[in-house]
Amino acid sequence: MGSKPFEYTPQAADVFTREVMARSGQNIVACYQCKRCASGCPVAEETDMVTPNRLVRMVVLGDIESALTNKLTWKCLFCHTCGTRCPNNIKTGRIADTLKKMALDAGIDPQQPEYKNFHRAFFNYSLRWGRINEIGMMGEFQLRNMWDHLRRGNFVAIISEVASKSTLAWEMFKQKRLHLSFHSSKGRDEISRLYKKSAGRKWI
Amino acid sequence: MDLAYYPGCSLYQSAMLYNHQTRLIFARLGLHLHEIDDWSCCGATSAGKINDFMAIALPARNLGIAENSGFSELVIPCAACYSRTVVAQKQLQDFPLLKNEINQELSQKVKDNIRVSSTLDVLQREMGGGRLAAIDLEKLEGFRPACYYGCMHTRFPYDVPVADNVENPRAMEEVLKAIGIKAVDWNYKTLCCGASSVIYNTECALDLMAKIMRDALARDANCLVVTCPMCQMNMESQQEKFCTKHNIKERLPVYFITELIGMAFGFSKKDLQPEDDMFTTGMDWTQLCGDSV
Repeated sequence: MGSKPFEYTPQAADVFTREVMARSGQNIVACYQCKRCASGCPVAEETDMVTPNRLVRMVVLGDIESALTNKLTWKCLFCHTCGTRCPNNIKTGRIADTLKKMALDAGIDPQQPEYKNFHRAFFNYSLRWGRINEIGMMGEFQLRNMWDHLRRGNFVAIISEVASKSTLAWEMFKQKRLHLSFHSSKGRDEISRLYKKSAGRKWI
Repeated sequence: MDLAYYPGCSLYQSAMLYNHQTRLIFARLGLHLHEIDDWSCCGATSAGKINDFMAIALPARNLGIAENSGFSELVIPCAACYSRTVVAQKQLQDFPLLKNEINQELSQKVKDNIRVSSTLDVLQREMGGGRLAAIDLEKLEGFRPACYYGCMHTRFPYDVPVADNVENPRAMEEVLKAIGIKAVDWNYKTLCCGASSVIYNTECALDLMAKIMRDALARDANCLVVTCPMCQMNMESQQEKFCTKHNIKERLPVYFITELIGMAFGFSKKDLQPEDDMFTTGMDWTQLCGDSV
């Protein structure tokens, strides 16, 4: 899958596997490739045959490029079907999640560009106000998307973004699901102290 | 019986109805919900995608507040909030050093002496006992619901005890049976609906929702019943889209389980969906139940 053929080196595989294990909290080396995870995965049809068991194999072999750029890593929905079916209790969903984080750390663009912006907007909003207000959070998400388009000089994308999201907002309004009230929590200083404490931590 | 209550952000916004109905039917069952003071967002799935420490610290703050308010049980209706809080509670038990670190910053410390339950857990437990006998139940005719649990009722990103069967949960069926409704038996009870990926990976999520819808229709269901605000929003607000994409002609209303229970308890449509406020499920359920309610 990578641009050049992957070459196995035991040391690189060891370092990579240990990092993924520490960050995901999963005992990856217990996998014996029974593929029970593969048969349950709801997105497996769309991932070019990369199933959760193959993802584990990529990590154990130290195929870093494939592990960070395959479709399963990015399409995984975090539904945990693989984890509940695994006889060795490996939650592959958390491995995919960890690989996403490692890819972003390494400066690799997510395969769904809006993935990063959505979770960033949600997380930042919850830190800033203590509670989520859907309109505000989606607004921040929009602005982040716009900024990305603007940096790339992609003005067509900006127009289609405005069009599609205003349709969504109108749909939500018609269904009476759009609320204008504002909620926040007073304990925001506690939250920001906790956030400062989390700086630099790669895992819990 | 007094219970601490954590509604979560979406129950004050897009899932306002769920909040309203939960309070209504719990009151009828003699269960008093006390919303905890100044709760904050649990971080949902997004916190864990960015910062593992905050994914535990955010629910820990709410746990601390609930524990220090003197209740023995915390009820959480939202499936995502419930999942995050249960997982955080178990992780705080398993990593005492982490718990100390988080507690240093909290004004209300986590003591780990509260039981966290979802609305469904409480309903399943309480509706089996004498509480239901005291209520005149209305006979609901014509409902053939497919109970859709989604991911977060039985599957967690960390090892926590799960009361229900992981592959074939029965809690909603049992609750509905207690009010005289027989749910259909079907395959995709726990298939993921795509959740927030509908925003950044739309096609994939729409395909999954269509799968769920198809099977419910094939089993002759005439409505979906859910406990998760995210599933409810996806299955309802995206329904037109995924049905058009996959050539499905029928449409199904998607109820929170509290709505069916409310109807059985004799609440009127106006009680369950106050018109003056900005919330209705957007679908007309009177078509289903005729004039009986």
